[in-house]
Amino acid sequence: MNGRVPLARKNLFQDRRRASLAVAGVAASLVLVLVLEGIFAGAMQQVSAYMRGSPADVFVAQEGVRTMHMTQSALPPSAVDAVASVEGVAWAEGLRYTNSIVDSARGQRITYVLGYDVATGRGGPRRLAAGQPPGPGDALVDEAVAEELDIELGDTVTIMGTAFRVSGTSVDGTNIVNTTVYVRTEDFEQLRGDNVAYVLVGAEPGVEPDLLARRIQTAVTGTTAQTRGEFARQEASVVRDMVADVMLIMTVIGFLTALAVIGLTLFTATLGKLREYGIVKALGAPPGRLAATVAGQAAWSVALGLLVAVAAAAGLGAAIGALTPNVVVLIQPSAVLRTGIGAVIVGALGALLPLRRVLRADPATAFRRAS
Amino acid sequence: MSEIPSAVVVERLSKSFGHGDLAVHAVRDVDLRVVGGEVVLIMGPSGSGKTTLLLMLGAMLRPTSGSVVIDGIDLATAPERELPTLRARHLGFVFQDFNLLSALTARENVELACNLGGTTGSKARDRAAHLLERVGLAHRTEFRPDQLSGGEKQRVAIARALANNPSVLLADEPTANLDSSHGRDIGRLLRQLAEEDGRSVIMVSHDERLREVADRTLWLEDGLLREILGLATDPVCGMSVEREASLHLQSEGEEWWFCSDACRADFALHPDRYASAGRSG
Repeated sequence: MNGRVPLARKNLFQDRRRASLAVAGVAASLVLVLVLEGIFAGAMQQVSAYMRGSPADVFVAQEGVRTMHMTQSALPPSAVDAVASVEGVAWAEGLRYTNSIVDSARGQRITYVLGYDVATGRGGPRRLAAGQPPGPGDALVDEAVAEELDIELGDTVTIMGTAFRVSGTSVDGTNIVNTTVYVRTEDFEQLRGDNVAYVLVGAEPGVEPDLLARRIQTAVTGTTAQTRGEFARQEASVVRDMVADVMLIMTVIGFLTALAVIGLTLFTATLGKLREYGIVKALGAPPGRLAATVAGQAAWSVALGLLVAVAAAAGLGAAIGALTPNVVVLIQPSAVLRTGIGAVIVGALGALLPLRRVLRADPATAFRRAS
Repeated sequence: MSEIPSAVVVERLSKSFGHGDLAVHAVRDVDLRVVGGEVVLIMGPSGSGKTTLLLMLGAMLRPTSGSVVIDGIDLATAPERELPTLRARHLGFVFQDFNLLSALTARENVELACNLGGTTGSKARDRAAHLLERVGLAHRTEFRPDQLSGGEKQRVAIARALANNPSVLLADEPTANLDSSHGRDIGRLLRQLAEEDGRSVIMVSHDERLREVADRTLWLEDGLLREILGLATDPVCGMSVEREASLHLQSEGEEWWFCSDACRADFALHPDRYASAGRSG
């Protein structure tokens, strides 16, 4: 405050109940924004968790296919050898994939079904939570769905219309949209033929995945090759595009609520002090000082509101995660920064009307009797 | 305190509201000179133009014509953007309602005024503490206005008025909300500040007690300012009235003066009720 009397803070916190309500109101609206962003970020992370956890440097799909979600990719079995023969490829492995439903006695879940080579484990889950890799007639289900559908190791579930015994549970395979189950390549081929959906590719040491992807796409016709990172980004963008409008609407609602709370709080606080602002003006306060006082009150409301909101969102995120394992709330520093910037803008807008009133305060009110 | 030689020079000061036949002339051709160290009391009936005059002296209202020169600066022609600084540095205000900021302590109220005059940090804090000590409130610096008595509040307000060592103090009914004892104390304090600092003090008040501390008492009525001849108290409403220009009535050998026909008529109906409350003259 440059060694000045902190009039903004003193005025705002003179009525602690009103100040607390203002901070709580701002925090509540920002929590809405932060949690929504957190759910969104968590979903993005979960949706692309399989790709990001894969040992493959490059994913090869049918030409034009850039994601797993909402798409079908089919490559002939010969594509695996064709990709393996490209210069710079250390290994290539076919991944079978389809969309299905995992059905247990307790309920159903939409799922990706991945058929992978258990011997190498390259197309399989990043980690097992419990049990063993699938043997013939076995499947791995995600631990979150196992908990949700009360599936125990050794239970039978129906996938692709066929009964599978659950040999283990995997991690990071369930998101807000669907889950993932893993079966052996052989079992998958029996049910859906020998076509592969994707070819997973490992690059030789020193070979840039980006360069390798371009090389594969040129060498093997009818394919689209992407690096792991690009494939994950594309997958996330499908979901992002699906929920972006809803997210935007909810975020706008959150910020509008914050705007209303800040505006109303500052306006009532200003109206209650209008005579005092007139007195300060009479004593010689220039318009800039009065503006700084109102802006200071807005800044305090926003800063404290944001602080409380971040703490509350983190707590709420943990609680949501504990209650619904398939929803991850990820409060990222970038989201806090974005929300903070939004809150500052909202605070500035909320201060405009009170500022107008304060700047119009008549210093002559100091000479009038207080009512 | 450093010597403050300047004085207030008001020449042909007028203020009218409205135009033509509807114009109200609140202040008319007022001339006033107040030297350093002088205490001037301006009295007059309600609506006589006292507040309008005070607002013009305080650089809060532009006159229609004339000049108000304080510290060599004509407030009437000073640019609008400079008026806040002029108010902060050259004028000190003491109000009837004290007008302390309720969220601030006594020290902070004074310190804020220092800030407005350009003094900040520990210098402002020290100055505030010194001024509060000077008005006898060294032990109440960290109290908020709602924890102070009326007399204490007015002392804080006076300390605040002195924050930037102004050459002129403008006091609007400084004793109106105080009991007799505290009112006299405040009057004496203002007198002391004028004498010790060579400051000009201009008070607007109905309070006759302040005549004791004033070097001059002026009468403002219908916007015209003149030297006072003789004052009396209206026994009905308690207002000070100038004998020469007021309605009067003789009752049981005593003469009474009134601010209006209504007060005189009321008195005529119930002389016993009012005669015991006030003394003529």
